[in-house]
Amino acid sequence: MQPFIESLPPEVDAKLQSAKPSEEQVLIQVSADFSDDQAYGEKWLVATKLRVLVVPADGAVEEIPLDAIQDVKTEELVGGGCLVVERKSGAPVYLHYSSSLIPKFAEVAQGIGQLSKGKPLELPTEMERTRCDKCGRLLPEKDSKCVACIKKWHTLIRIQSYVNPYRVQLTLVVVITVIGVLINLLPPLITERIIDDVLIPLSNFNLLVWLVAGLLGAYLFSWLSEIGHTALSCWLGFRAAEDIRAKLYRCLQFLPIRFYDKHKVGALISRMTNDADRLEDFIAFEVPYVISNALLLVGIFCLLLYKNWVLTLYVLLPVPPIVLGGIFMWNRLTRFWRLWSARWGRFSSHLNESITGIRLVKAFAQEDRESTVFDRHNDALRQVNVSGNRAWFVFYTITNFLMSFGAFFVWYFGGKQVLGQEFKLGELTAFISFLWMLYQPLRWFGDSYNFMLRAFAGAERIFEVMDAPSEPFDNPNARNIPKIDGRITFKDVMFGYDPGKPVLRDINLAVEPGEMIGLVGKSGVGKSTMVNLICRFYDVTHGTLQVDNEDVRNVRIEDLRSQIGIVLQEPFLFNRTIAENIRYGNPEASFDEVMRAAIAAEAHDFIVAKPDGYDTMVGERGNKLSGGEGQRIAIARAILHNPKILILDEATSSLDTATEKKIQAAISKLIEGRTTFAIAHRLSTLRNANRLVVLDEGKIEEIGTHAELMGRKGLFYNLVKTQKETSAVMAVGGGKEDPGSE
Amino acid sequence: MDNTKSLSDEDKAKVQQPVTPIQTPPPECVNPKDIRLFRDPPWKLRLTIAGDRSYLMVRVVRAAPLSQPSRYICFLDEKNEVIWTVEDPSVLDADTRRILEEELDQRYMTAVIEVINSLRNEFGVSYWDVQTNRGNREFVVRNVSESAQWVSARRLLLIDVDGNRFEIPDIDVLDKRSFGLIDMVI
Ligand SMILES: Nc1ncnc2c1ncn2[C@@H]1O[C@H](COP(=O)(O)OP(=O)(O)OP(=O)(O)O)[C@@H](O)[C@H]1O
Ligand SMILES: [Mg+2]
Repeated sequence: MQPFIESLPPEVDAKLQSAKPSEEQVLIQVSADFSDDQAYGEKWLVATKLRVLVVPADGAVEEIPLDAIQDVKTEELVGGGCLVVERKSGAPVYLHYSSSLIPKFAEVAQGIGQLSKGKPLELPTEMERTRCDKCGRLLPEKDSKCVACIKKWHTLIRIQSYVNPYRVQLTLVVVITVIGVLINLLPPLITERIIDDVLIPLSNFNLLVWLVAGLLGAYLFSWLSEIGHTALSCWLGFRAAEDIRAKLYRCLQFLPIRFYDKHKVGALISRMTNDADRLEDFIAFEVPYVISNALLLVGIFCLLLYKNWVLTLYVLLPVPPIVLGGIFMWNRLTRFWRLWSARWGRFSSHLNESITGIRLVKAFAQEDRESTVFDRHNDALRQVNVSGNRAWFVFYTITNFLMSFGAFFVWYFGGKQVLGQEFKLGELTAFISFLWMLYQPLRWFGDSYNFMLRAFAGAERIFEVMDAPSEPFDNPNARNIPKIDGRITFKDVMFGYDPGKPVLRDINLAVEPGEMIGLVGKSGVGKSTMVNLICRFYDVTHGTLQVDNEDVRNVRIEDLRSQIGIVLQEPFLFNRTIAENIRYGNPEASFDEVMRAAIAAEAHDFIVAKPDGYDTMVGERGNKLSGGEGQRIAIARAILHNPKILILDEATSSLDTATEKKIQAAISKLIEGRTTFAIAHRLSTLRNANRLVVLDEGKIEEIGTHAELMGRKGLFYNLVKTQKETSAVMAVGGGKEDPGSE
Repeated sequence: MDNTKSLSDEDKAKVQQPVTPIQTPPPECVNPKDIRLFRDPPWKLRLTIAGDRSYLMVRVVRAAPLSQPSRYICFLDEKNEVIWTVEDPSVLDADTRRILEEELDQRYMTAVIEVINSLRNEFGVSYWDVQTNRGNREFVVRNVSESAQWVSARRLLLIDVDGNRFEIPDIDVLDKRSFGLIDMVI
């Protein structure tokens, strides 16, 4: 089925058929979800080779012959958009739709544009799925898994899958547990014998000795099995939890940048720590008990039934209400623990932000306010903790109370049976011991129920991250390019961080290997965005971006990125030593190489002047260094990486002109044989560029050498002129700045 | 999400204690009565500042659509540069004000939730089925408790996975059932 031919309800179809000649083939037929600009409803847009028709659910069809169309565009509104079909004369036709349909109508607008210009219609043959194929529910992310179709117990199965690799140990745990359970069943049986065969007949001392010895042995073995069981299951649980954490961390590392645009770092850290902790506790301490207690329950239950099934039924009287209560509590408690996890996320995200930004907090003397915000998060956390635990505690105590009812029944009816000689005294005591043994795990289930739900809420959050689509590192069709030449081609590239809101449009640019391109343009025009595309931090929305004549989407990400050296606009340094930071891209590099890279980046002098030289810790994010020092280390890091493609995004913006000039010299040596993209506001920095690309409003406005652009007296000329004027004013103090004019 | 809240706190604080105003260049002196919005032809919005200049293809936007919905309205020209910001549109003449309202209505497609028919929360994803002032609608929000934006203590803004916006101006005004449903997830 073609995605741009949607089926019509019969009455609308009838209306359409009467509005167009029947032999005319429908090329586009899509619905909008607003009936006008105000209310939800349906409205259809149909395009044929000759006309565009707008068909409302009620009201007349509007027809625009293709040759009367001036232009088709989409307008971005808040929470939706609008397709505008402009006519050569007369009012345009509008079609409003919600944000959900922005991607679709972006394509439709292009399609109608193609038709009206007489070009062949080229539309994608597949649109991303927005609803689940199975249940028809809306998907949380396009083309993602339907979370609603994943069953609740799926969480348990997934948790279990992390225990699977340790099957041998798990089997061992179960075996030990079964033995332990069997041994645990012995003492009451032995006491039964003692009462019925020794104490009541008042004879048989020998038997008593044997029985007591048996009792002692049973306790001894039960103790041993408990040790074995606990040790093994802890080992197992911590292993599984470690695996889960490792997997989660790997997932976080491989998630695309887009994911991080949407999630807060603190909240992610809380998943890594808090939610994983809950899960760990659950696997290490609860799961083994669940298994052993469940076995114990079954064992005792069978024994009770065997001993006296009538009494057993009395014992079971309180069970149905407890089960019902448990089911009722499931949702309530889960809700609390989900809320708890979410609040932890917010708590931790605030914590992360305010501590990371502590300098700013202090600079604005906002410590008090941040503390107030913290108190609020803290308080919210306490509230949900209290309500959750209260709800659970009420349930727990009621359960306990109900269960002790069973004991009353047994004493009453069992006592009656003993009086009536139907049941022996020893059997009754054994029965009651078993009863208490039965209650213990049952009560304990109430306890671990809470833990379990808490762990599940955490597990859901963990699996949510794991299920987010990661970068296609293992695309099997990807081409290996171990040695990139460095030819970069943009072909009709369009890109927007949000669909329907393009940042870059109609970008066409062919860069030869070894060429240096200077990207110029106003702040926010999309310069950094262009280099983000080259690194494939984001994928283009339309058109193609090629590296060595191969679509980047078909190049192994690893190959691509390992041959790109990038100095980001905000250089990020890890809290390691200077040498380690420089070595980040090539951990194998020798100290000699590190030093040479630092010398090339003009960083050597200031580094060796530090007491610890290359072994100086730079502080978190490099905050113990000045801005310019950080930038130079970032440059050294890129130099050492020895990439085929070098990207310098405002790499020298924090440096004084003298230092910058020296680095320029180093860079000009460095860029030989490498494709370089340099972004700079200080236009003098781009003097070495082979070509300059001037961006304006997301489009390429001018391309050419410095001299060509100056000669054209266009945008670039004006930029240079303004910069010269401002720097002339700024240079009054004697600084000699030459903004790029030869 | 929380900073919007604290911002409004901050605003309150500002009202209480006088802050030395920053010296900004005086805004361009435009008499609000000189501003005129009109449509000519009917599908093109124009703006003139009487006796001074005129703009084609004007857009009208709110400076702070959430915290200041009816004040601080900006007029943008073709290049998205601000022509003028009116603090209180009631000073404008009636025709201009009417057009201004129409334009704002068109631009902000946020729906106001009136009744929540059903709400399910599973695996951090919530499925909403609501009645709004624009009609019934189903939508999905990821991680509501983290992503719901409290504009003020009782006012809630939800942005669904596609970027559609839904607003609850005052959660206390909702009927009991709807409130209960919301209370369950947020
Ligand atoms: N992660 C993001 N999500 C959404 N929008 C973004 C994101 N990053 C950038 N933008 C927007 O995209 C546009 C282009 O940004 P970009 O960083 O490419 O500008 P730039 O040309 O590098 O500007 P500057 O010279 O200030 O660095 C801006 O309007 C910006 O607000
Ligand atoms: Mg930038």
